[in-house]
Amino acid sequence: MSEIKLSINGLSCVGSTGETILQIAERYGIHIPTLCHKEEVRHYGACGLCVVEAEGSAKLLRACSTLATDGMAIQTEGARAVQARKIALELLMSDHDGDCVGPCRLACPAETDCQSYVKQVALGNTHEAVRIVKDKLPLPASIGHICPHPCEKECRRNLVDEPVSIALIKRFMSMAELKNADRWQPERSAPTGKRVGVIGGGPAGLTAAYYLSLKGHDVTLTEQMPQMGGMLRYGIPQYRLPKDVVDAEIADIAAAGVRMENGVKIGRDIAFADYRAQFDAVVLAIGAWKSSPLGCPGETLERVYGGIDFLRSVALHDPLPIGKNVAIVGGGNTAMDACRTAVRLGAENVYVIYRRTRAEMPAAADEIEEAVEEGVNFKFLTNPAELLGEDGKVKQVKLQVMELGEPDASGRRSPVPVEGKFEYLDVDCVIAAIGQKTDSTGFDAELNRRGNIVADEGSFLTSLEGVFAVGDATNNGADIAIAAIGEANRAADVVDSYLHGALVPCKKPFVSQRYVTAADYVDRERKPRVQIKNRDAQARRCDFEPVNTGFTAEEAMREASRCLECGCHDYEKCTLIRHANRYEIHPERFEGEKRRHDSEKRLVVIERDQGKCILCGLCVRVCDEVAGKGLLGLIGRGFGTVVKPEFRESAAIAGCADCRKCAEACPTGAMKLL
Amino acid sequence: MSVRIVVGQGSCGLAAGAADVYAAIEQLLDASTPATLGITGCIGLCYLEPIVDIYDAQGALHRCVRVKPEDAQAIADAVRTQDYSLLGALLIEKEDEAFLTKQTRIALRHCGVIDPESIEDYIAHDGYQALEKVLKTMTPEQVIEEIKISGLAGRGGAGFPTWFKWNAARSSAGEEKYLICNADEGDPGAFMDRAVLESDPHNLIEGMLIAAYAMGAREAVVYVRAEYPLAIVRLSAAIDASRERGYLGDHILGTDFSCSIRIKAGAGAFVCGEETALIESLEGNRGMPRLKPPFPAESGYWQKPSNINNVETFANVSWILLNGGPAFAAMGTENSKGTKVFAVTGKVRRGGLVEIPMGKTLRDVIFDIAGGIRDGREFKAVQLGGPSGGCVPAALLDTVIDYKNLSATGAIMGSGGMVVMDDTTCMVGIAKFFLEFTTKESCGKCVHCRIGTKRLSEILERIVSGNGREGDVELLEELCSSVKDGALCGLGQTAPNPILTTIRYFRNEYDAHIREKKCPAGQCKPLLTYAIDAEKCIGCGACARKCPVGAISGELKKPHTVDAEKCIRCGSCQSACRFGAVRVD
Repeated sequence: MSEIKLSINGLSCVGSTGETILQIAERYGIHIPTLCHKEEVRHYGACGLCVVEAEGSAKLLRACSTLATDGMAIQTEGARAVQARKIALELLMSDHDGDCVGPCRLACPAETDCQSYVKQVALGNTHEAVRIVKDKLPLPASIGHICPHPCEKECRRNLVDEPVSIALIKRFMSMAELKNADRWQPERSAPTGKRVGVIGGGPAGLTAAYYLSLKGHDVTLTEQMPQMGGMLRYGIPQYRLPKDVVDAEIADIAAAGVRMENGVKIGRDIAFADYRAQFDAVVLAIGAWKSSPLGCPGETLERVYGGIDFLRSVALHDPLPIGKNVAIVGGGNTAMDACRTAVRLGAENVYVIYRRTRAEMPAAADEIEEAVEEGVNFKFLTNPAELLGEDGKVKQVKLQVMELGEPDASGRRSPVPVEGKFEYLDVDCVIAAIGQKTDSTGFDAELNRRGNIVADEGSFLTSLEGVFAVGDATNNGADIAIAAIGEANRAADVVDSYLHGALVPCKKPFVSQRYVTAADYVDRERKPRVQIKNRDAQARRCDFEPVNTGFTAEEAMREASRCLECGCHDYEKCTLIRHANRYEIHPERFEGEKRRHDSEKRLVVIERDQGKCILCGLCVRVCDEVAGKGLLGLIGRGFGTVVKPEFRESAAIAGCADCRKCAEACPTGAMKLL
Repeated sequence: MSVRIVVGQGSCGLAAGAADVYAAIEQLLDASTPATLGITGCIGLCYLEPIVDIYDAQGALHRCVRVKPEDAQAIADAVRTQDYSLLGALLIEKEDEAFLTKQTRIALRHCGVIDPESIEDYIAHDGYQALEKVLKTMTPEQVIEEIKISGLAGRGGAGFPTWFKWNAARSSAGEEKYLICNADEGDPGAFMDRAVLESDPHNLIEGMLIAAYAMGAREAVVYVRAEYPLAIVRLSAAIDASRERGYLGDHILGTDFSCSIRIKAGAGAFVCGEETALIESLEGNRGMPRLKPPFPAESGYWQKPSNINNVETFANVSWILLNGGPAFAAMGTENSKGTKVFAVTGKVRRGGLVEIPMGKTLRDVIFDIAGGIRDGREFKAVQLGGPSGGCVPAALLDTVIDYKNLSATGAIMGSGGMVVMDDTTCMVGIAKFFLEFTTKESCGKCVHCRIGTKRLSEILERIVSGNGREGDVELLEELCSSVKDGALCGLGQTAPNPILTTIRYFRNEYDAHIREKKCPAGQCKPLLTYAIDAEKCIGCGACARKCPVGAISGELKKPHTVDAEKCIRCGSCQSACRFGAVRVD
């Protein structure tokens, strides 16, 4: 063996004869992607990812097998090699039939790992479950109470019977953990010496502050209201989310090192410019705290309130006067919160005026159901045409009767007035819960046409240097809490990168998805979801106690065990998806027939998923060359090739020594240890 | 000199009924017809089979073509009476004779001439003389030098200099070396090697022995595809016969050189024609290519230095050693020497095996020798080199045949397949045909080939079925270039060629399919519309009666109409109409 000199990406490297390009590159910390290569087995050259360019060579070289020679000049990331890798990955992913993560996690705006925490609950491990959820969400108990759970809508269990009660499970585990004296608190990174100011103590601000603090930054969270919590405290009624739950979770965030200031309004108490000067970065999470006006004559009459203004007054223990007959306008969750709060405040007749029908209401179905149980009257297909008053106070609502016309852009049938048809409703108060707006007075950031702060989708940067914005105050305006939390968490990563000197915008990771139908689940046992009982509606009407007490430990475990575990067990260590995310790939360009995804369980301790197999041949070669057994083989040809126990014989399988080396070698999730 | 009757019994002749012809003639031969009856291999005029050659007492040849068993009597009569005019219409036409006379046959020089089952016949045609000369008068280095002078290059497709491979294997360290003959001829429409195996097996054996001597191998294997049963039978018999005569085995012709040859039948995978996959298959493994380097010359069969050449390459060797390298090099062009055999098929008037010196043009082969296009249609393109090759359009008919020129067109010399297409051929359809072949024959090992060819086929399928999208041509080009770059072996690296050349020369056809949803050649069924010309239709109802789905309606004696929704585009109406009233758009 003699010494050879070569250059890789311009770096002078020394190797010895007999060494491959890959071996030398690895030694110098230059990473060349591979899927089918392992040093223990003979090189194979199937995946085509390790191709590199060599000066003077017309062909791409496979780094895994090409021996380095003296004087070689190698480029590992040249355009041609990258293109070959991209296409290889696009082709592989176009034929990879598996879910990296479950549809629940994909549907969650904060990308919480539902499947993993549900699994831990099923195993009785709430502490671990909370550790997992807090990786994305620092307020799991609060969110567990109020989230409209888009995850459950996408749950594959819908194709079998009913979705897993993910929100209730989250509420159970987080509440259980809150009672745990030794509850989970993450480690904080070493201080960076960077100062971050976060404005707004709602879900978005709390989240951004929490993760930035954990990354070692010195974070100050400033809130204009007397207490932290934002809409969780001032917008959500106590019967849905007890304030002590919010208090406990905020305490944990403070314990993570966040300095909190209440009752300070930037722009009033301190000029924004002066505020900015104190920090290396600023995150605006100021929310959307202005109610949208009704836009009909009479809306300036007394006792006409905005929905969130009304709810805030109740939260501040100083409720706005509402009288006996209350009309709430709107069909969303704020309307439900307002009408049910009005009931609890003693109103005798509570109406919800909504211009479409129940089927089109954006509010969560159980919220509507519970409101009906609590005696709320729904005036569907009506819209306020005018508010009529007496002595300056609202007295009557003139309702335009509507009917449903053609579907609009949202796919819902749009309401059309029935000409000349009106109804009249006697009221003491009208609460307009038809939307929220941002009040950005005092902040100089650029606004969009809707009056929201413009924040870049990937970087969350506003028009101001070092000022980022997240949550309801930005771009498309108010959304559900978990959406604001998701943005804040991602923004924390971006701000962190900014503070370290190189801003890296967030990018939605590429994941593989399996498209399934009910037919794929016909063999599953039907297990309806665990039902919990709400308190009697008549009792609920009279107090602000929670509607129900959530799952017991036994119920939560039983419910959690219904999870189909769609997401791949190997996602975190999958080499395939790591490489797929290293390059910008668009496998949908090559969408076509996919391999069958039947699973093969005959290797006793290992389940093989043909749909995920990428035919790298590692399991086959490891079983042969490392384990010395040779039980696996490739069957069929071309696109239809599959890995099967040799000769498909059970006798061959009996020879399996249970060494599990094949599963360990698999670069993706095609082999699962049972 | 007695009369000899020889029946062509290559696979081509046998498929056309030569065995029955042979039996019919045999029955009629008796004392009154003083003639011997024998066989020969493929004569090359495959389109005229069965062929019966009669060598009269003077040695003159009377060639009867398209002979049926019932023609045996005429043949017997002619032989008995020595009046060969009795053969009449059976005799070959002048212009068909030109098919052979315009060729220069070296690799095929014994094909259709000698009895492939008779070693004596081979010896009588200078057989094994080259071997004797080599073993007794030349060193291995001198043999390699002679081959180098000849300029012989691999005839299997890649065109790599033969001497270089022999020399590399000779120079590799180790005593144990192997010689392998690649007889896994798999290109659709190619049958050059089959002709040699069936018609002149001793020539192959002699060529291999010379190569084995030159490179230092004592063991040789012929890897023959199992779909060539007759080739295997004849080659086995020839190996046995040459062993008995001392041309094979220990101390060949009394020298120190010993070598054995055995046959390994392939199991039907196209990829085993790729040399490293062939070696894997020989070793008993799944036929999948190995990474190169190391090249087989360093580490091949059982990790020993190995040399692999194809049948046609070996078939030239004994001629070169007998006639000298310069004689071979005298034929051809600057960069391509000697002759090349082509299997001409498709829409030509005369299809068969054509061996010509390098340097002739495509026009020479397709028009001068093969007689141009059948049925008076237009020449459109020729697919050279099988699924690995490309389509060359009419504008390039005057391309001079050599390795360099053919590569410049985007096609390749390949093993010599030449599929001629006329104006009724859809070029997108042709690309799809070849891609479906390579997709099916991909071994499944590397990503670019396994999934890449599959996706290419799918995109072509959607184009020909009328679902092509704007940008599909660019997508094809991008994927093609990556598959060429990334595939592990020649199969995948060349699989995109049919697409790339058809896009290069017939882009308008792709665009017509994608944008106008039309197939200019009128071949892609989903893109056709059948209509009845009211002017020409007399309302006879013949079309309506033939239509299997009841898509045609109309009153008797009034023009009929086709319901495009119901129509399955089977074309029955068009063939039923005697007035040419059914139009296809």
